[in-house]
Amino acid sequence: MYDDILILLGGPQGSGLESSAQILSKAFARLGYGLFADREYFSNIKGRHSYIHMKVSSKGLPLSLSYPVQILCAMDAETVFTHFQDVEDRGVIVYDLSTLSTKYSAIPSIEPRLRERLRTSFSEFGLDGSISSLIRYLRAVRKTRFIGLDYQKILSEVSQKFSLSPGQASRYLSSIIVGSIVGLTGLSLDAVGYALASRFTGREQLIEHNMFIIESVSKAVREGFGTPYELEPSATGLEKMLVASGNDVVAMAKIVGGLRFQSYYPITPAADESFTLETFERLEVDGESLGSLIVTQTEDEIAAIASAIGASLSGVRSATSTSGPGFSLMVEALGYAGQIEAPVVITYYQRGAPSTGQPTRGGQSDLLFTLYASHGEFPRIVLSSGDHVEAFYDTILALNLAERYNVPVIHLLDKFLANTIATIPLPEMSKVKIDRGKTVFEKPDFKRFDLARPVSTRTFLGSNIIQWAAGDEHDEYGHIDEDPLNRREMYEKRMKKLENMDSEIPLEDRAVFYGKEDARLVMIGWGSVKGAALDAVKEMEASGIKCGYLHLKMFSPFPSEYVKGILSKFKPESLVAVEHNYLAQASKLVRQQTGVSVENSIVKYTGRPIYSSELVKALNKILEGGGRVVLDYGA
Amino acid sequence: MVRSPNDYRTDVWVDWCPACGNYGILAALYKAFAELQLDPTSTVIVSGIGCSGKTPHFVKVNGIHTLHGRAIAFATGIKLANPNLTVIVHGGDGDLLGIGSGHFVALGRKNLDIKVMLHNNRVYGLTKGQASPTLSKGLKTKSLAQPNIINNLNPIALALVSGYTFVARGYSMLSEHLKNLIVAAIKHKGSAFIDILQPCATYNDIHTPEYYRKRVYFLEEEGWNPRVEEGEESDKLLNAIKKSFEEERIPIGIFYQNTLKQTLEESYSQRIPSYFKILPPWQKIAKDDSSPILDEKLFEKMFEEYIVKVEKG
Repeated sequence: MYDDILILLGGPQGSGLESSAQILSKAFARLGYGLFADREYFSNIKGRHSYIHMKVSSKGLPLSLSYPVQILCAMDAETVFTHFQDVEDRGVIVYDLSTLSTKYSAIPSIEPRLRERLRTSFSEFGLDGSISSLIRYLRAVRKTRFIGLDYQKILSEVSQKFSLSPGQASRYLSSIIVGSIVGLTGLSLDAVGYALASRFTGREQLIEHNMFIIESVSKAVREGFGTPYELEPSATGLEKMLVASGNDVVAMAKIVGGLRFQSYYPITPAADESFTLETFERLEVDGESLGSLIVTQTEDEIAAIASAIGASLSGVRSATSTSGPGFSLMVEALGYAGQIEAPVVITYYQRGAPSTGQPTRGGQSDLLFTLYASHGEFPRIVLSSGDHVEAFYDTILALNLAERYNVPVIHLLDKFLANTIATIPLPEMSKVKIDRGKTVFEKPDFKRFDLARPVSTRTFLGSNIIQWAAGDEHDEYGHIDEDPLNRREMYEKRMKKLENMDSEIPLEDRAVFYGKEDARLVMIGWGSVKGAALDAVKEMEASGIKCGYLHLKMFSPFPSEYVKGILSKFKPESLVAVEHNYLAQASKLVRQQTGVSVENSIVKYTGRPIYSSELVKALNKILEGGGRVVLDYGA
Repeated sequence: MVRSPNDYRTDVWVDWCPACGNYGILAALYKAFAELQLDPTSTVIVSGIGCSGKTPHFVKVNGIHTLHGRAIAFATGIKLANPNLTVIVHGGDGDLLGIGSGHFVALGRKNLDIKVMLHNNRVYGLTKGQASPTLSKGLKTKSLAQPNIINNLNPIALALVSGYTFVARGYSMLSEHLKNLIVAAIKHKGSAFIDILQPCATYNDIHTPEYYRKRVYFLEEEGWNPRVEEGEESDKLLNAIKKSFEEERIPIGIFYQNTLKQTLEESYSQRIPSYFKILPPWQKIAKDDSSPILDEKLFEKMFEEYIVKVEKG
């Protein structure tokens, strides 16, 4: 019996892997298991290799992934060739018997560099490059257990039994993968049935066909191989769980937070969030409407942010959601929001950059960009979240802070979070408050930019007040004014909001230190690094080395005193930046804001997540001699 | 209280050049607002950058002076968030048809109820007279170093093919006629566009009042009927496009008006019945104790599909 298992399922993009992940995650959650499933895919609609890497845990809600995996389920030969090195010794590989003679060299979708690495490995192993030769080798050398299934035969059984055309039956290919995982882990068919019913509500035939395959495949696997990866009963203690991607969690939080307007231009990996919001545009529960949510697809990202700012001036909570290339286009309007003190939230999912970069891969290379984007100076909030739970509460925090301080808020997330399905506890609404800042709807001689205090009172277009705003420097009413003293006072009024924000926003929303003062190594990271870092802390401690993790959340205003206070307790050589970028950008900011120099760094910029397994190795390396370690594990 | 044109004036000093065409546009605007008795608190002028961009500061209704080329995009959010507002965009030819042409086209497609007033003087005034998208190729206005080397575009034709459902042309020196066009545009439900020809006294020495005086004529005086009845949509549209290419004599008036098309806000309201019932800015998002209206119970119902009930083993 296992506490945790790691599974990798792979196949061509567009062949149902995503829905397999949804079904498996709901089925495991049904039994109380925690799950964390990352989806890796090319910028491609159909055909290129994609995979789901998941961790299932009986002990808690996992926040990171690692290698090697115990189970590899391959829909095609490319998956076996791409991932056989990811499987632990004595692990299980499920494959299609019809691929036995397939050679890696005959698969056109394998990229040249991987082909070259395979050529090297295969000649080292003395193999002919076919699946069958690889199986012989892995069985002998790594004791890998192979489960060969005739996928075509299974599908033709389905097609006969339910009178489906071969084309229709082929859509159930991914159920073979689900069925084999059900068999290997002993996942109950009741739980699978629950997951299918939830995924395909009302589509009885689809449920029946899927269930038929899953049941027969799992039975065959169990008969041939037993249940090698049975999990301990769940000890998570949760009665209900939210099972959702990061995109969906953010969408739900925006609805809870009272969002009434979202604009977007299609971009990976942000667009799914807007799709989900649009699904709920009627804001209905039991046929009763709680309001209306306008989700609008604009002609470009410039229009996306401009219309969000416009909606904010009309008095609704508004946001736009994008990624790096989109944010690049939004920059001029970001400065406009700063200048006219308009609240607006930009949900920013970082991806591989610069330029088009790696559209479907992850990264954290836009931190410094978000801090300094736009000409001129103005206060902004840059807030990042480390996991699904943080993303939920931070989304609402972002909406609150934008309105409380009349500033643009950039909520910095990334592709890893966006596309990862995780199980989390249901949000506690007692932790959520709506703060709309100071508003007035009736006032003679209203001064929108009253110099009396840094944060002026806002009104809505359409209230009983007339208001003006201009991107030009303006007087208290919003009319253009170039007087030098007005300029000085208005400039200072805006900038002083930074001090207000710094003194008022609670520290726990800005940085969290996990660890104790006797840690030998302290990692400093942000965003999706959190999960891997916390798991690495546990693993390091299990081997007797105390570590800590300083999780940075708010970069503007930066919690300088707090961070300085923590980091100055440690020697510079025990500090390690852990980030998904080349420069270790957050550590540069730490130095700028606190004077503390972070001597070591562990960085990764391959577009794949940092795995706790490689992070632990890197930390050990830092312990030996310090310096910089560049990670690159993962296909 | 009855509002006169003067009631729509602010006390901000108007800093356009003497003899600028904008004065005529501003006068027509005051008169149109007074004729319609527009409520200043529910009227919004949104502008871009340039001489025309200053318009909102001179008018006592809500005024949002935005970025170069982006006024339509800001106006889109303003209007969608509160469909009760009267939203009017003012922009120049460089602003709306050069840097902002993508938004200009998009608004036509949406048929969102926003009125666009193009201050068309064929030059970039505030940056000293460069050629704008409406200046013909080969012309050399006063401050150009060389004759314009790029072809011009036809704003009326572009508006028509983009889907604007009210398309008109006015002339800044014919203030009463222009006022009537503005009134008609504001009364129209849907995306409305007025191409307002205006002299630039400082930088355009070709398209002078004299130039226009010789060429301008009234469409309505020649029996032009812009109104689209059922089944006439494409014929009327094609005729209007053809008409818009007349250059020797310049037609002004309403080229095309189609009231048969649904507006974007109507389409949203059809999908989201509560949209018009309580306008989004006035919808409640929090309870009196500041907790969200979507409490735990409602959350579980709304997002049922994401929630898994753990089976007790």
